[in-house]
Amino acid sequence: MKKMPLHFKILIGLVLGVVWAFLSSSLGWNEFTINWIDPFGTIFIRLLKFIAVPLVLFSIISGVSGLSDVSRLGRLGGKTLLAYMLTTVLAVTVGLTMVNVFKPGTYMDEEQRIKNRLTFEIWLEDNNMGIAKDGRSFLSDPQYEQYLTDAQKGRELSEAEKQDLEEKMKTAQMQKEASPLQFIVDMVPENIIFSISNNQLMLQVIFFAIFFGITIILIPNDKAAPVINFIDGVNAIFLKMVDLVMKAAPFFVFALLAGIVAKMADSPGEVIELFLGLGSYALTLIGGLLFVIFVLYPLVLKIFVPKLTYKEFFRNMSPAQFLAFSTSSSAATLPVTMECVEDNMGVPKTVSSFVLPIGATINMDGTSLHQAVAVIFMAQLHMVDLTIGQQLIIVLTASLASIGAAAVPSAGLIMMIIVLQSVGLNPAWVAIIFPIDRPLDMLRTVVNVSGDATVSTLIAKSEGELQKY
Amino acid sequence: MKRLPLHTQILIGMTLGLIVGLVCLQSPALSGFIIDFIKPIGTIFIRALKMIAVPLVLASLIIGVANIGDISKLSRMGGKTLGIFVITTVISITIGLTLVAIVEPGYQLPEETRTNLMQLYDSNVENQVSKAGDFKTRGPLQPLVDMVPDNIFKATTDNSSMLQVVFFALIVGIALLQIPKESGATVLSFFNGINDVVIKIVQYIMMIAPYGVFALMASLIVEIAGDDPSKALELLYALLWYSITVIIGMFLMMVAIYPILIKYFSSIKYMDFFKGIRPAMLLGFSTSSSTATLPVTMDRVEKHLGVSEEVSSFVLPLGATINMNGTSLYQGVTAIFIAQALGLELSLSSQLMIVLTATLAAVGTAGVPGAGMVMLVVVLEAVGIPTAGIALIMAPERILDMIRTMVNITGDASVAVVVASTEGKLDPDYAKAHAAD
Repeated sequence: MKKMPLHFKILIGLVLGVVWAFLSSSLGWNEFTINWIDPFGTIFIRLLKFIAVPLVLFSIISGVSGLSDVSRLGRLGGKTLLAYMLTTVLAVTVGLTMVNVFKPGTYMDEEQRIKNRLTFEIWLEDNNMGIAKDGRSFLSDPQYEQYLTDAQKGRELSEAEKQDLEEKMKTAQMQKEASPLQFIVDMVPENIIFSISNNQLMLQVIFFAIFFGITIILIPNDKAAPVINFIDGVNAIFLKMVDLVMKAAPFFVFALLAGIVAKMADSPGEVIELFLGLGSYALTLIGGLLFVIFVLYPLVLKIFVPKLTYKEFFRNMSPAQFLAFSTSSSAATLPVTMECVEDNMGVPKTVSSFVLPIGATINMDGTSLHQAVAVIFMAQLHMVDLTIGQQLIIVLTASLASIGAAAVPSAGLIMMIIVLQSVGLNPAWVAIIFPIDRPLDMLRTVVNVSGDATVSTLIAKSEGELQKY
Repeated sequence: MKRLPLHTQILIGMTLGLIVGLVCLQSPALSGFIIDFIKPIGTIFIRALKMIAVPLVLASLIIGVANIGDISKLSRMGGKTLGIFVITTVISITIGLTLVAIVEPGYQLPEETRTNLMQLYDSNVENQVSKAGDFKTRGPLQPLVDMVPDNIFKATTDNSSMLQVVFFALIVGIALLQIPKESGATVLSFFNGINDVVIKIVQYIMMIAPYGVFALMASLIVEIAGDDPSKALELLYALLWYSITVIIGMFLMMVAIYPILIKYFSSIKYMDFFKGIRPAMLLGFSTSSSTATLPVTMDRVEKHLGVSEEVSSFVLPLGATINMNGTSLYQGVTAIFIAQALGLELSLSSQLMIVLTATLAAVGTAGVPGAGMVMLVVVLEAVGIPTAGIALIMAPERILDMIRTMVNITGDASVAVVVASTEGKLDPDYAKAHAAD
């Protein structure tokens, strides 16, 4: 047992967790699972989260202050942003291709889709938004008149759903109204202690840490030395904490998954049913995400880092990937991602400590891919044809929103509202995909984390600092 | 004034406060003066204690754990010693909590007075109530989850997440032990420095303690009594019950827990043990400092009970810093007494939190003079009991401190005997011959 590699143990924990959840719900032990097992999952996430902020703070400072000259930082930063942008665009393109090829929205009953379309047009009229962007009008077409009454009833949302949606719309509205440079403004902290005491303000922490690191380089060496020593020490402590936590990771992952599945539905039947209803969508999305993980990233790496084999890439990265899957939080996974990238992949600390925290907050390949697939799926579901131009707008909005919305909690759905609005669709549609968002979020996070790791490896290679490969 | 020991100064401050309070009761104008101009001094004192609590816990725990580790690696003796320390500490707190629940010293105050007190100290009673409501809907393991911070900086900015800070400090200490010495050296010396600074600050704060206590006591009397001086006496009556509860608890440790420990886990008789350790106990009683008594304790345990030096030189200094059975019992009783006096109901999980905080907080802070009061603040803050309630228990503090030090020392000595005995480092017949020397 001891010799077994960690990622294998985590995988076992993961599988056992799911098995346990199904077993317990079929035996009626769900309450036990939620009361006595799920809390350990929560503890795991909290542990990782509280390590993440100090780790980001201290590792960036330590990484930046280790740079030989400041100009390198600018180059590194430019490259990082460019690489993140490119991978995001690639991921979204994959999503668009998949959704256009498989057309998941068209599998539903034709009548239902016509009704959906009519509801949409009624909504457009109610909001004085003119006719649908594709120029067709089903409302004025007599052949669809028979469906009209049904359509007018529309989809009734529950009270709680409505409230939740309203809140999200408000946030989205604020996001949209803000100046395009707002996200840069938001990056500068007003009070650094406040920023580090708030997990949502990671970008501000990054900004401060970089600033602090640069300043250390600029002051005389003998004065900086004790500070650097202290920060390196603290950094080592937090890395050790990650080690300690990861020793128990298989158990924690088991608890986490058991809890998630148990909370999702009362019986395994319900879970399966949820998926069946949106099956074509889920399949397309999962296909897209898997393609990115298993084909796109390895391919990109193969081109730039030919020595790194396919198997090695996954052997190096799998602990972080499994963890991303079970926590569905790139911030919580960050400590482990850093460890994998540094220890297994051989990326130097100066690169990883800078590239990864930024990636964890702004690079969301999986999330952007999800946006694209979901929006077009919903359009298909409502018989709205989107032109190539509109689809490009989606790519752009999704990519930009992924940067701007970094600091917003449950960013995914809020971004989606922004994207839907940008092409004149009804933002309330996000409710359609609510139910299965959580499980898909898990896979999305794997893509996000793998993307960060891939980019950091590429950057290290381009700096000529990837000794191992 | 300067020559007097701090404890005496505090006692004088308190008595003066009591007298001044009672005198000022006679005239509304003077009462107003007390509230407006004397009370703030007491509040400042309490604030100062609270201010230093988080840094003290953080620095002293990190250092404390980092030092324990040094020794615990030596042998399995270390593990055994720590295990027994934890067990005796938990037992003592449990005894304290049970006793205070049975005797209910806080309920010696009439209902009306308690309501008064609560309004006095707790401006947001509703807040407390709603918190309690939250508690019911939570899962049984929620206290465990709440122990883990999700952002450590947020935890340190909130006195009520003290347990999270304690948890964090423990992990940092453990991690510090496991990283290579040279990379941890700067951090360790940094926290050592911080620790020294914090201890110095605690000393400064304790210098104003007599005045703070005076102010707290005077304003307490004025506020609680209103126009009926007899209420002040009721307060003293309740304090008497509280002291009795603590003393009974200590007594139980001495005549029940330690004898059982000695009887079943060592080869010497309790009477011999008692005879042998008595001088150290007496010294502890008069100095109320286990560190000051340490040389005597070591001498008694080695020369008169026959514990090998190897064991005693390891167990006793460690015990003097981290094993404080009397203190943790005292903290448990005190926290509940204050809660009772203020009419707060503490749930089982809050009481569990007291046990945890009192046990863990004891690890690092024992050597710090005056830390007892800060630690009490830590415990109170952790469960959300208004800290100003400390004023209530200032009166018997000195005498209880003497008794609890005695218990602390007896506890350390009995652990030393048990460890030595189970490790085969104790000569069973030695104690009989030399105990009374």
